[in-house]
Amino acid sequence: MSILANKDTRVVIQGGAAGVNAARRMAEFCYLIKRPLTVEAFVYPPDAGKTNEVPYGSGLIAIPIYKTIAEATKNHPAINTSLVYIGADRAMKGGMEALDDPNIKVVSMITEGVPEKDAKLLGAHARKLGKVFNGPSSIGIISAGACRLGVIGGAFDNLVLSKLYREGSFGVITKSGGLSNEIIWICSQFADGITTAIGIGGDAYPGTDYVSYLEMFENDPQTKAVVIVGEMGGDLEERAAEWYGAKKRRVKLIGVVSGFCQESLPKGMKFGHAGAKEGMKGEGSARSKSDALKKSGAIVPATFGALGPAIKETYQELLKSGQVKEPVEPAVLPRLPKSVEEAMKADEVMVAPLIRTTISDDRGDEPCYVGYPASELINKGYEIPHVIGLLWDKRLISRQEAEIIKRIMMLSADHGPCVSGAYATILAACAGIGLSQAVAAGLIMIGPRFGGAVTDAGRWFKYAVDNKMNVDEFLVYMKKNVGPVPGIGHRVKSLRNPDKRVKELVGYVKSLNIKTPCLDFALAVEQVTAVKKDNLILNVDGTMAAVLVDMGFPVDSLNGFFILSRTIGLIGHWVDQKRQDSRLIRLFDYLVNYAAPKRREVPPLK
Amino acid sequence: MAKVLEGPGMGLMKKWGIHVPNYVVVTSVDELTKLGQANDWMKTSKLVAKAHEALGSRFKLGLVKVGLDLNGAIAATKEMIGRQVGSITVSQVIVSEMVPHKEEYYCAVKSTREGSEVLVANCGGIEVESNWDRVKRLCLEVGQSPSPAQLEKLSKDAGFAGPLAKKMADFAGKMFTCFDSEDAQYLEVNPVVTRESDGELVALDAVTLLDGDAKFRHPDWNFQFAAEFGRSYSKDEMEVMAVDSKIKGSVKFIEIPGGDTAMLPAGGGASVYYSDAVVARGGKLANYAEYSGDPPDWAVEVLTEKVCSLPGIKNIIVGGAIANFTDVKKTFGGIINGFRKAKGDGKLKGVKIWVRRGGPREKEGLDAMRALKDEGFDINVFDRNTPLTDIVDKALQK
Repeated sequence: MSILANKDTRVVIQGGAAGVNAARRMAEFCYLIKRPLTVEAFVYPPDAGKTNEVPYGSGLIAIPIYKTIAEATKNHPAINTSLVYIGADRAMKGGMEALDDPNIKVVSMITEGVPEKDAKLLGAHARKLGKVFNGPSSIGIISAGACRLGVIGGAFDNLVLSKLYREGSFGVITKSGGLSNEIIWICSQFADGITTAIGIGGDAYPGTDYVSYLEMFENDPQTKAVVIVGEMGGDLEERAAEWYGAKKRRVKLIGVVSGFCQESLPKGMKFGHAGAKEGMKGEGSARSKSDALKKSGAIVPATFGALGPAIKETYQELLKSGQVKEPVEPAVLPRLPKSVEEAMKADEVMVAPLIRTTISDDRGDEPCYVGYPASELINKGYEIPHVIGLLWDKRLISRQEAEIIKRIMMLSADHGPCVSGAYATILAACAGIGLSQAVAAGLIMIGPRFGGAVTDAGRWFKYAVDNKMNVDEFLVYMKKNVGPVPGIGHRVKSLRNPDKRVKELVGYVKSLNIKTPCLDFALAVEQVTAVKKDNLILNVDGTMAAVLVDMGFPVDSLNGFFILSRTIGLIGHWVDQKRQDSRLIRLFDYLVNYAAPKRREVPPLK
Repeated sequence: MAKVLEGPGMGLMKKWGIHVPNYVVVTSVDELTKLGQANDWMKTSKLVAKAHEALGSRFKLGLVKVGLDLNGAIAATKEMIGRQVGSITVSQVIVSEMVPHKEEYYCAVKSTREGSEVLVANCGGIEVESNWDRVKRLCLEVGQSPSPAQLEKLSKDAGFAGPLAKKMADFAGKMFTCFDSEDAQYLEVNPVVTRESDGELVALDAVTLLDGDAKFRHPDWNFQFAAEFGRSYSKDEMEVMAVDSKIKGSVKFIEIPGGDTAMLPAGGGASVYYSDAVVARGGKLANYAEYSGDPPDWAVEVLTEKVCSLPGIKNIIVGGAIANFTDVKKTFGGIINGFRKAKGDGKLKGVKIWVRRGGPREKEGLDAMRALKDEGFDINVFDRNTPLTDIVDKALQK
């Protein structure tokens, strides 16, 4: 048996993230004792209509979220308990809503910093209705082997260590959340564990006091002794002593009180919980409480440390008198499934990786490019071309190579609004499309006819150089197997009207006195093709390709240089149109050659 | 519980229709001089000047001057502003009119578990303290307001008669309304006096304690709460408070000058048991501290640095019960960072550190603490199998 929380308890949680976290802890306990999840609903108006996912074992349970308590209890008529995880400014309203629901009998409030008046009103309202209002500032309530309300009991391992999977003989009532856990642990080590442990909260006027719970424990035959952990301030401990001393009680009472340090501290210095405040005339001091408990016949250890032995002694007496029997521990307990991450940390599983990377890692405090921290690259004077070198070719390129890449990028950043890429981006921008999609529209144009010939040009020039072909052999091979030579030919430029960008790039690279076999070969090809037709010149794609292959960049990366450079221009075009607030573009009819059949009658459908 | 100084306290009473003497709170002689020119009562009434600070025994300290004219009040203000009393510098002076009166009475409203109590006595000043049996009380359930008949009965029971009984009942009623509407925890007027000029009851001195947790529904609480222990907060204390107000969970820090055992425990409940254990062992606390509710590691780090900066400490008690949901590894991470910083700054020389803790990720957290030994810290680490306060016994063993 237990009090307050038992096998029939079904819960609604009022609140958001903190409430979901509590539900997870509660699910761990339910899993440990093999009962279905006690939480049936959440009430949280901002998320009403959605569900919260709560892990149970290795699966997930979807718990519905409602706008009101009434909706929750209508859909889940078994709910009889509410846990309040709402902020202090709205806690009273939420608590009242729960208390006023006919199905709900117990309301426990975790919220801290609830105004005293609100707490008193909630407590008084509950007493009037004959219900239990526990808290505020309560860590929760737990009945071993039966039901957990809130996060009381701590992590899963602690539930097992504290033997909360089965009933003991000790009731626990504390103001402090942390100490409730400590006492549960002590009861499990020095005795047979707990029946029910209740955190009543450390506020000055908790909704329910020790006496109400002592009465409940007195009427619970399984509970043989009750441990209360008190604090200076208020008169709850004195009232508990009064109750205990009033007549012969079935349960034994063990109590400790904190706050003796107050006697040797500057007056008015306040420690600990909100309620831990000495009265004006010495009432509520640790000593007066401790004395009152002693006088009532309760067992009062001198210090917190002596509590364990005192509990042990009580337990031994109970064993001797036959009131309790040594508990039988279950042979096997469920183990909480580990997350993959935890299991890997413990070297318990091996997972085949889904992807493999050889260039980049940002698991530390900053990204590393092929092992080099980004900030160190910056501080040592490296620039964007070096990052390209690292991420595209996994090597730190030289200052000279970086300069060439920089020039390539500057020359290819944009080519006016009329080319396919820029035009597509502008068209999209005018249709009100966002930056990333509009730029993507431009990038989609990059292909065999526009800007996408760099890779292919590089591939075939390299093929020729690698196979030591001469220009004629190459042209024959290309004509037979490939088609027009990528990187050769221009729509408007010709020998007489050369492409300034090509001239600039070739001039610079040649001035460096470095080996450029591909570029030399490409220029030799141009010598032949341009004679055949005026505009069959080495274009900018072909030039870039030859230079980059000479630098050692992988052929597959070459289009990347054009894509990257041109993205600068495409972004520019989008921003430009956006700033002008350009209107939607529609083609004029006179720009279209309507070559479709003339209007005619549709034949009947066969 | 939040204490409010006289000025704002009287302001709240005035708001609810309780007669209070005219008063001004000033921060400089200039301000008072200007106010003296603007307000007739300052020129015509006898005045009282009091240091407007959270100080006990102001009378003895010469920080209350009575029977002054305006020039006298200006002189008294000049003398008081800037005076150093312990750690408090007087920065405000309250100047109020003296109310000539013959009789003194007492009225208070205090919070009780059931609701509240209205207290009335037909004696006041120091007389009421030695005649506490003359205080009559009316107990009220929360949510219940006293009826005029109840108040009049209370007033008559306390020995008020004739028209004064009605007036006292009315005064107590307003006190209750102020208490209830302002989320007060304690309101006391001692003395209440009859103003000779118009026969009205006037509140001469106010003690006001408000519920700081209710601040969210009182936008007009534009005053600061006063420290309750007769001194102002130190710089480090205020820094920790500033952190506390920003985070989920909490960190708390109060210095106790002269102590040598520094406290860095977790939890509002356990921290007091740790303090008790130190005192019981004959140790001297250097501070009170506490972190709870799974605070972020950086907040615990700030707290740790403050604890390590306490002068003359020999031991640091990093105690704690078995946490429910405070992540031991994370919060210990903050403490470890704080320790390292302190050590880097040349602190913690000869200081022994004592650790005991349980809770989520306790093993990882305790292991990280143990590893500090290799960095040259004098640290002793215990797990849940060592009873809560045994580390204090070990630390203070002679």
